[in-house]
Formats: sequence, C-alpha cells, structure tokens
Amino acid sequence: MATQAAPARQDDPALAERLRLEVERAVQRSLKGIELLGAPPPTVGRTPKTSLHRRGTLELVHYHAVTDEVYRIPLLIVMAPTNKGYILDLAPGQSLIEFLLQRGYDVYMIDWHAPSPRERDLKIDDYALDFIPDCIRRVQQDSGEEDINLIGYCAGGMLSVIYQSLHADGPVRNLACFTTPVDFSRMELFRAMADEKSFDVDRFVEKNGIVPADFVAGGFEALRPASRVAGQIRLWDNLWNDQFVKGFRMMERWGNETLPLPGGYFRQTTQELLRRNALYEGTLRIGGRPVDLGHITVPLLHVVAQYDHIVPPACAAPLVQRVGSADKEEVVLPGGHVSIAAGPNAVKRMWPKLDAWLEGRSL
Amino acid sequence: MASSLFPDPLQMWRDALARLENDANALAAGGMKSPELMRSLQHATTVGTGMQQVFEKMVEAYLRRAQLPSRKDLAEVMAALQRIEEKLDRLLPAQESAPRPARTRRPQAAAAAPAAAPEPAPPPARRAARAPAGKTAAARRTSKR
Repeated sequence: MATQAAPARQDDPALAERLRLEVERAVQRSLKGIELLGAPPPTVGRTPKTSLHRRGTLELVHYHAVTDEVYRIPLLIVMAPTNKGYILDLAPGQSLIEFLLQRGYDVYMIDWHAPSPRERDLKIDDYALDFIPDCIRRVQQDSGEEDINLIGYCAGGMLSVIYQSLHADGPVRNLACFTTPVDFSRMELFRAMADEKSFDVDRFVEKNGIVPADFVAGGFEALRPASRVAGQIRLWDNLWNDQFVKGFRMMERWGNETLPLPGGYFRQTTQELLRRNALYEGTLRIGGRPVDLGHITVPLLHVVAQYDHIVPPACAAPLVQRVGSADKEEVVLPGGHVSIAAGPNAVKRMWPKLDAWLEGRSL
Repeated sequence: MASSLFPDPLQMWRDALARLENDANALAAGGMKSPELMRSLQHATTVGTGMQQVFEKMVEAYLRRAQLPSRKDLAEVMAALQRIEEKLDRLLPAQESAPRPARTRRPQAAAAAPAAAPEPAPPPARRAARAPAGKTAAARRTSKR
C-alpha cells in the first residue's frame, strides 16, 4: 500500500506546480493579449544597409560589412518578386544576412517593392535580362570586383538560373539556390488553380493590370487553408511566451506584406511555367532565346526543403540533374519553404552548410 | 503535467490541433483537385476581387469629390519624399566614411592551419576598373550614382 501511494505523492507537487503554471499563463494570456491589440508592427530588417539603386519595383541594397576583411567575391542575393527580402534579416540572431556578414561575406540583395501601374507589362524577360544584369553591373562597380556569387531564393532562384542559362560566360562564378522550382508539373495545387478551364488569365490580367497582393497571398494560403486559423490558435496558446509571439508576429508581418505582381510576369508564369512547364521541358524562350539549364556550368548548390509544400522536393530536384556543372550539389534539409532559410533551425542547418560551400568559392 | 497517472490534457489538445490542421489541409488539397470545385473557387475569387475593386473605386470617387487624399495617395507622396531626401543626401558633400574592408579574407580553417602544403593558385582575379587613387569609397559611390 505504502509503495503504491508513494508515486502519487511524488507526482502531486509536480502536478500542483504545473497547474499553478497554467493558471499563471492564462493570466498572462489575458494581459498580453490586450497589449498585442495595440502593439505596433514588429521591427524587421535592421541590419544596416545602403540603397544603391532604386528603379520602380526594383531595389539593390548593400549591407554594411562588420568584419575587418571580407571575401574577394561579393554575394548578390535575388529575392522572389512575391515577397520582401527582410525574411532573410528578421532580427539579430535570426538573420541570414547578419550571419553572412559575420562570416566575412560582402552581401548585396535585389529586393522588390510593389510595382506601379506603369510596370504592369513587366515579364520574366525584364527580370532576367534587365534587372539582374543591371544589378550585377552595379555590384561590380561598387565592389570593384568583376566576379559575382549569385544566390537565389525560390522564384529568385528561378530567375537566377534563367539568367545564368542565358549568360553562361558572364561574371557569375558560383550559383546557390534555395527551394527553386523547375518541374512545375509537381506543383499540383498551383496547376489546378491555374487550369485554363477554370481561370482565364488573359482576362484577369487585362482587367487588373497589377495582380493584387491579396490574390497572390490567397494562392499561397490555399495550399494550407487550415494553417492560418491553427496559427492564430497557437498564438493565443503561447501569448505568455514573448519569444514565440515575437517570432510569430515577424513571420505574420512578412506573410501579410506579400507583394502584388506585374500582370505580364503573372501571365507568363501561369502560361509558360505552370501550364506548359516550359522550364522543365526546355521550351522556355526568354528574349527570344531558349533557356537550357544545361548551359549552366558554374558550381551549383541547391538547398531543398524536405517538407516544402510550395516547392516540393520533386519540383526542385531537376535543377541539379539538368545543369551542366561538374561541381554541383543538392542538399535536402528538414524544414519548410520558409523555415529552411529563416526559421530557428536554419541557424544550425542551412546557414553553416551555405557558409561551408561558399567560403572556398569566394576567394 | 505529464505523469504516469495524469496525462497532460493541454498537450493532448495541442497534438489534436496539429492533427486536425494536417487533416483539414489534406482534405482541402484533395478537394481542390476537383475541376468543379476549382471553377467555383475561381469564380468566387473573381467576384470577390471584382467587388473589392468596385468598392475601392467608389471610395476613390468619394475622396476625389470631397477633395481628400486616399491612403494610396499619401503613400505615393511619402515614397516621393523619401526619394527626394535620398537624392539630396547624395548631393551633400561626401563625408569621410570608414574605409571598405580589404578583400583578403580566407576561410577560417585555412587561416588557422599552419602552412603545411602550398595552396592551389586562385583563379586569376578579374577586377573592374578601379577609381583613381586618393578617392574615398564614399566619393566613388556619390560620383557613380
């Protein structure tokens, strides 16, 4: 009897302590919930930088070095046109930009702003044949170096590989991509949404000109419609946890600041990439020239997220298979489309891998 | 709260929420593969977007009539002001800024290891034309923009 009673007595203080903790958390939820209602948007993108060039939707920024010496070859990061670049610079300790600067890289970024109505006809051609080469030229002028290392994230990676396919003898020495889509037939839900039987993209673009940000964000949310509600419930559950709330709000702000898209770019992506899968099929033409991934011969690193619901691994896999590079590597890491580069675990997974790959290739 | 006698109900609730979320997302994903459902969703989205545009146009028309600026007008003015300020900053005399760091960094392992084997010769560095000696980095930036 005494033996059976002893475990219960040992658990009771723990149970009582836990109950006390939950009551305390419930009180904190109420207080912090009220604070949250009036809180300003979280501050993001705090790493000091200089805007080198701004042209409509395009902005080229240069992050200030924090080390006494830097690697010779500057890095140019190309963000996806649908989202702001500060996802890679959320906060001190959760910033890929800060990490790269501390490792001694000279970091530039192509970031995007909402396109104006005058930019409604911009296409992939403009991004790959104008914006990227123009920014590369400006990085060369600013850094005094002709060689560039290019990093592309998601659609930024897609634009980077299109650029590199068409400029194989250009100044890019190494190419790193994160979660870059190639085989769009594997994006089943996006293809279903873009099916020509149910979606008249020409009429939509003619009517709207600039595709509204709500529409773009809605497309991403439609992939996991229950996650927004579940996320709000988790936020309420963790309102007592300042770190959780801070991280949640930063990610939420980034998601809410999804950018509108030029109608021309949206139409071309829908027709050429989603419907015809032209990049994978090798039939994509940009500036009248065929885009052949086999023309890419520079060293390539492709980081793929194992649980990516936007660019599934099967969609990203053909990049390394198709390029003509002798030095190429695909790394599949646990994580989702965003957490692979910006989540708490990126600090110990993707970032060190990127650094290890880049450091010997930045001399 | 977990113990052999009392399972943690809050953790059970959290696990149930995660399962519910995954199941709901999977159900939605399956449903969205149906052409009829997609057509309905696209139609609803088009109608919704259209209604939003009509509403926005009505608000714009009202603000114009009342000679009041819209939020978009104010945002454009703010952006223009920002650009003017940046251009003014560039017109100011170049201040002495910290010199740019040297481009001599080596990987940490190479820097720490004793010089045992000779390093392979780096590829010939191709450098863009440099500014005349004596110009600061800030002056170069100002003159090139």
